[in-house]
Amino acid sequence: MAAADVYIAIVFYLTAALMIAGALGMVFVRNMVRSAVFLVVTLGGVAILYVLLAADFLAVVQLLVYVGAITILVLFAIMMTPRQVDIPSSAPSAQKIASALTAIAVGVLSIGVLVSHRWNLRSTPMDEPTSERIGTLLLTSYALPFEIASVLLTVGMIGAIVIARED
Amino acid sequence: MALAPIGLPHYLVLGTVLFCLGMYGALSRSNAVGVLLSVELMLNGVNVIMVAFARYIDTPQELAGQIFAIFIITVAAAEAAVGLAIVISVYRLRHTIQVDEIDLLKG
Repeated sequence: MAAADVYIAIVFYLTAALMIAGALGMVFVRNMVRSAVFLVVTLGGVAILYVLLAADFLAVVQLLVYVGAITILVLFAIMMTPRQVDIPSSAPSAQKIASALTAIAVGVLSIGVLVSHRWNLRSTPMDEPTSERIGTLLLTSYALPFEIASVLLTVGMIGAIVIARED
Repeated sequence: MALAPIGLPHYLVLGTVLFCLGMYGALSRSNAVGVLLSVELMLNGVNVIMVAFARYIDTPQELAGQIFAIFIITVAAAEAAVGLAIVISVYRLRHTIQVDEIDLLKG
């Protein structure tokens, strides 16, 4: 393996460990604020993965939108619903076991299919800057989803204001 | 496989692991905001897989995976906003957001 491959492998495994630790913390911690902070760790790890995958524009968008906006939104919601620590329900073990089995079954099935499939791989992985190409694609081939996403965001914003309004 | 250069299968496994952890959280957490956090984790797992496909798969639609990931981020943001607004509204009315206690529609 070349030196660059070793470096990329080290960064990948460290980031993967960080993300999985953050995800486990988010799922299992009872305190809601700590759970949200663990999710921030995972979202930052996802941004590092985007940089490894040569998705430079998406890495910055991930940090801006997920870590910046959605995290603050979640923390506001936690703040406005006080004293709602995630308490175990009255019948915890059956539900937790069933959901764990479901998640494990879906995971094993998906990993088995994804890893064993013979993918149509490129000769060399794509490694070019993406911002300009994404901009061109969003305005030419994907103009309709782009406009629909704008309408969706406007409707979502108006809906959230109307629903959460105190009257 | 772990000693090979990092390729598509590594990212696929990592994305699937994130998705399954998020699925476990969404199915087992009793706080509604916790469920929404787990759904965000699931969407991020899917995004990782999409961007890995954009990098490694040979396809005439270049960058389709990244465009898909951008739209997933957009929809996730809108859904988080509306979902959290609903949670806040439910808290105002019922003073609880434990999903087991919000059972007015239960038969």
